Amino acid sequence: MSQANKHPWHMVAPSPWPIVGTISAFVLAVGGVLYMHEDIPWILAAGFALLLFTFFGWWRDVVREAEHDAAHTNVVQQGLRVGVVLFIASEVMFFFAFFWAYFNASVPAISFAAQTQWPPADIVPLDTWTIPFLNTLILLTSGATVTYAHHAVREGHRDKAIVGIGLTVLLGAIFLGFQIFEYGHATFGFTDGIYASSFYMATGFHGFHVFVGVCFLSVCFFRARAGHFTPRQHVGFEASAWYWHFVDVVWLFLFCAVYWWGSFGL
Amino acid sequence: MFKHFRDIAGLIVLGCVTVVGEASAAGMAEPWQVDLQTPASPVAEQIRSFNAILFSLEALITLVVLGLMGFIIWRFNAKRNPVPNKRTHNTALEILWTVVPILILVVVAFPSLRLLFFMDRTQDAEMTIKVVGHQWYWSYEYPDHGDFTFDSIMIPDDELKPGQPRLLAVDNPVVVPVGVNVRVLLTSDDVIHSWAVPSLGLKTDTVPGRTNETWVNVNEEGTYYGMCSELCGINHGYMPVAVKAVSKAEFDAWSKNAKQEFARNDGQATHVVQAVGEVSQ
Amino acid sequence: MTAEHHPTGWRRWVYSTNHKDIGTMYIVLSMIGAIIGGGMSWYIRLELAQPGIQFIEDTQLYNVLVTAHGFLMVFFVVMPAMIGGFGNWFVPLMIGAPDMSFPRMNNISFWLLVAALVLLVIAGLTGGGPGTGWTVYPPLSSATFHPGPAVDFAILSLHVAGASSILGAINLITTIINMRAPGMTMHRAPLFVWAILVTAFLLLLAIPVLAGALTMLLTDRNFGTSFFIPEGGGDPILWQHLFWFFGHPEVYIIIIPAFGIISQIIATFSKKPVFGYLGMAYAMCAIGFVGFVVWAHHMYTVGLDVNTRAYFVLATMVIAVPTGIKIFSWLATMWGGSITFKTPMLFATGFIALFVAGGVTGVVLSNAGMDVALHDTYYVVAHFHYVLSIAAVFAMYAGFYYWIGKMSGRQYSETLGKIHFWASFVGVNLLFFPQHFLGAAGMPRRIPDYPDAYAGWNMVSSIGALITAIGTVFFLYIVWHTLTRGQKAKANPWGEGATTLEWTVASPAPFHTHEELPNMEPAQAGE
Ligand code: HEA
Ligand code: HEA
Ligand code: CUA
Ligand SMILES: [Cu+2]
Repeated sequence: MSQANKHPWHMVAPSPWPIVGTISAFVLAVGGVLYMHEDIPWILAAGFALLLFTFFGWWRDVVREAEHDAAHTNVVQQGLRVGVVLFIASEVMFFFAFFWAYFNASVPAISFAAQTQWPPADIVPLDTWTIPFLNTLILLTSGATVTYAHHAVREGHRDKAIVGIGLTVLLGAIFLGFQIFEYGHATFGFTDGIYASSFYMATGFHGFHVFVGVCFLSVCFFRARAGHFTPRQHVGFEASAWYWHFVDVVWLFLFCAVYWWGSFGL
Repeated sequence: MFKHFRDIAGLIVLGCVTVVGEASAAGMAEPWQVDLQTPASPVAEQIRSFNAILFSLEALITLVVLGLMGFIIWRFNAKRNPVPNKRTHNTALEILWTVVPILILVVVAFPSLRLLFFMDRTQDAEMTIKVVGHQWYWSYEYPDHGDFTFDSIMIPDDELKPGQPRLLAVDNPVVVPVGVNVRVLLTSDDVIHSWAVPSLGLKTDTVPGRTNETWVNVNEEGTYYGMCSELCGINHGYMPVAVKAVSKAEFDAWSKNAKQEFARNDGQATHVVQAVGEVSQ
Repeated sequence: MTAEHHPTGWRRWVYSTNHKDIGTMYIVLSMIGAIIGGGMSWYIRLELAQPGIQFIEDTQLYNVLVTAHGFLMVFFVVMPAMIGGFGNWFVPLMIGAPDMSFPRMNNISFWLLVAALVLLVIAGLTGGGPGTGWTVYPPLSSATFHPGPAVDFAILSLHVAGASSILGAINLITTIINMRAPGMTMHRAPLFVWAILVTAFLLLLAIPVLAGALTMLLTDRNFGTSFFIPEGGGDPILWQHLFWFFGHPEVYIIIIPAFGIISQIIATFSKKPVFGYLGMAYAMCAIGFVGFVVWAHHMYTVGLDVNTRAYFVLATMVIAVPTGIKIFSWLATMWGGSITFKTPMLFATGFIALFVAGGVTGVVLSNAGMDVALHDTYYVVAHFHYVLSIAAVFAMYAGFYYWIGKMSGRQYSETLGKIHFWASFVGVNLLFFPQHFLGAAGMPRRIPDYPDAYAGWNMVSSIGALITAIGTVFFLYIVWHTLTRGQKAKANPWGEGATTLEWTVASPAPFHTHEELPNMEPAQAGE
């Protein structure tokens, strides 16, 4: 750290990443419109690449600050944890919107526009007790493995931690595989009305979050192997674990509301 | 209350007395009007009397706060009161200014809900009309009188006849008999519009895919104007509502005639008929 | 201090991780937004000065102007100034923290807002623009009725602005929870800090719901979903629920920071601590909380069940109670004080008076029965400009005059400030008071031309807009005058009444402050 240690806070050095990230967001937005209206995918792809680059560079800096600059004092770690919890809270509200859409379409007590029959007559819903249930078990197990890794990290058992994280990544990947398989075999398509819309958007955004969680945990996997996580300092891993639990809980709601209740409904 | 307010407001705001036309031409606003349009239905009358309660309470609250403020400015400015006291608590006072607003709101809530439930629906409608919003005109249907339908389109400025109000007059006003409970069912053909007639206390959105319900009972013969009240695209400002209230006899004659004039020949407007079923919930 | 931490030239701003620099950039952005958004509003008023079409032949353009004006003022003027600007500058200063919790994230919050503004401008300039109103109701905003890319740009602009707000909110909450100086307990934190905390929570929980709704609209428009499309079993009213679930908290997001600013100023210039501090803090929490369960008061005419409407009437009216606590506590703070009416205090006093006027019309509107007469008329426009364009903007001006010495090291001219206050006060009242009359008499909003009966008050309103415009331009002159000609500001220009920590550091506040954390234990703080 470059300044005198009169206080425990982290005075972050100026950084190019915010502006690069902003440019990537802007390119993504413009590229998105061009893709949707003119079928030009390149700009969108470029924006996406720049975004990934930003993530990489930004988090590389964070890791360096943690590992080499000793910038993450206890109170700074505390701040990071609060930040992660708040971020997850905002994510919860994002899913809240999609659940609202789902119940708005299916529960007449909520809306005059709700379907009189749910699932709608022309929809053959997925069988709850096959892949969806299997996926539930997979995610629940992965919640256990990530907790196992968490305990291992806290107690300083690097090997166990690596195994725990690795298993979680694996389970997450299997979940995603099943999810994609399920989409491929569903009898209704993305554009087949409100059931399909709410089904695919809610489960799709969940799947996307699983993907992000898998990426996050994979990074943690390598960081764990590099010996980054100590019993005293492992916020990065803790964040990924919390995120994973959040993804898990969202799934439980999806499973109960969309897959289970949604398969017989009213 | 309101008569005074008109004059006082005119005085305060412009510094001159405003001229309010005598025997008002009901059914639309007048120049320099400051309050609600003259009511011409039971709902509109109740809105008006509820507004009188609301207005006096709100004016009172505002004036009390302004008065207090004026007093404080006069009494506690640094010149007159060089040494501030440091009092920061007074439990009694704090309870008071929590409880008094609650009481005021309770007083408001009762007439408010009574009005709300009164205006919602009518149990004993004698006839039904259907209103369909389109970009950018209204069409009306008379299912009880032979199920004829017609469009109601604004008369452009350059075709106005003397006496027809600009932006309000239409080619075919919707006609209803006076003194009759009319159920109004509303829906839309494209985007959301809102069917509104201030002097009749009417404003209900027309939403594609669903049917809304309201009702009206016009007190007096005359033409009552309103305008579309939900942004619906480029000509949102140009789709007025005109309700023509006539005597029962006149209405019967008109509807017989209209049945022929507007005889349905193209199966238009059936979507409302289909949608009626949903309204029961 | 190393060069690394105090960069110069463009890097100082573009790469900034300094809460003061970022706060300053937010304020500049807000002023740019105000010039564009204000300019649009004056053009609107010019069109509305007389019946008939004067300038805006293309009514789609009129709708786009109204839409853009609403978006700009809400997302790019008031929010950046109060939360990004004053929040960034003064939350760390007031709680004794050397910077924000996540300085780098702070920077992207700002730049994302710039990107969002550019996207909004692009939206306005492509394919006819978004003529949907700031509420973007489908089906009007759907691909069928707005086929061009404009609405997509607007959606993405809001997405990006929303991301900016969420990140900013996380930053502010974490800073306030985690970085208070020793002894600075929550119950000792200045009310402005409380206000920003409550606001940030509202942002954190409301914006993602808007993001979800916008995403649905985007996929409806481009990828064939049918969330809001009746033909596919969707429901246009769902959008309204989601939008207002965000939208109502949004209006408190705008006004609660204003409450915070006003509390500081009233206490300072009355030379008294705030009356009923805890009640004030928890009243804001209550307003924020209840703000989440009243959204459908914007939807009284859409055809909701009558019992639902009855619930929303009662819930909405409840908000008047904690708000009343705030008003009366401010008055009680002034009561017995020794008040000097410097410009910030003039604006603060004006705020209280005119916020009450705007608040009580809100209570009128909260009655679903009454709202049938007033919904979508100029009465609503009058209501929300009293709370927004008058109350919130007055609070911004008040905050500007209050803190400009601290921010720039130069004090504004008291004479000029007072002239500005009176010009604004007369201007906005003349501008918006007659709109109550227009609305009561039934004039709908969002129309470029109106029946002739409404001509009189519209003319008055437009004259008011002219005065307001002159006042605003005069304000820009004051900004320039202050920065170039202003007197050197003392560390504490306001004297004994100004007790919060920002007045303990030099003016202008040095690049880094509170490097030695202030100790606020009661013994040291002299409580
Ligand atoms: C800063 C922004 C802000 C604030 C603070 C408020 C505050 C309030 N608003 Fe407003 N409102 C808007 C911004 C705001 N509003 C906007 C932008 C719209 C339109 C959106 C659109 O359609 O485009 C709108 C629209 C709007 C509507 C919908 C109107 C319609 O479209 O038909 C309603 C209805 O209930 C409403 C109600 C209220 C209420 C009850 C309050 C209350 O919070 C007010 C509370 C304050 C007081 C009451 C005054 C002080 C209290 C006392 C002195 C105590 C004693 C008082 C009593 C006992 C009454 N508002
Ligand atoms: C904060 C919000 C805000 C503000 C400040 C304003 C300010 C003004 N508004 Fe705005 N208005 C809205 C929000 C706002 N408005 C919204 C949400 C709508 C609805 C849109 C819709 O229907 O979709 C609307 C609609 C609206 C209409 C209705 C149009 C219609 O329905 O057809 C009209 C018409 O007169 C109008 C006029 C004006 C005018 C003349 C001002 C003037 O007061 C402008 C004067 C300019 C300023 C007061 C800016 C001052 C600020 C600064 C100079 C920055 C200073 C910076 C610091 C101190 C850091 N507005
Ligand atoms: Cu139809 Cu507005
Ligand atoms: Cu609201």
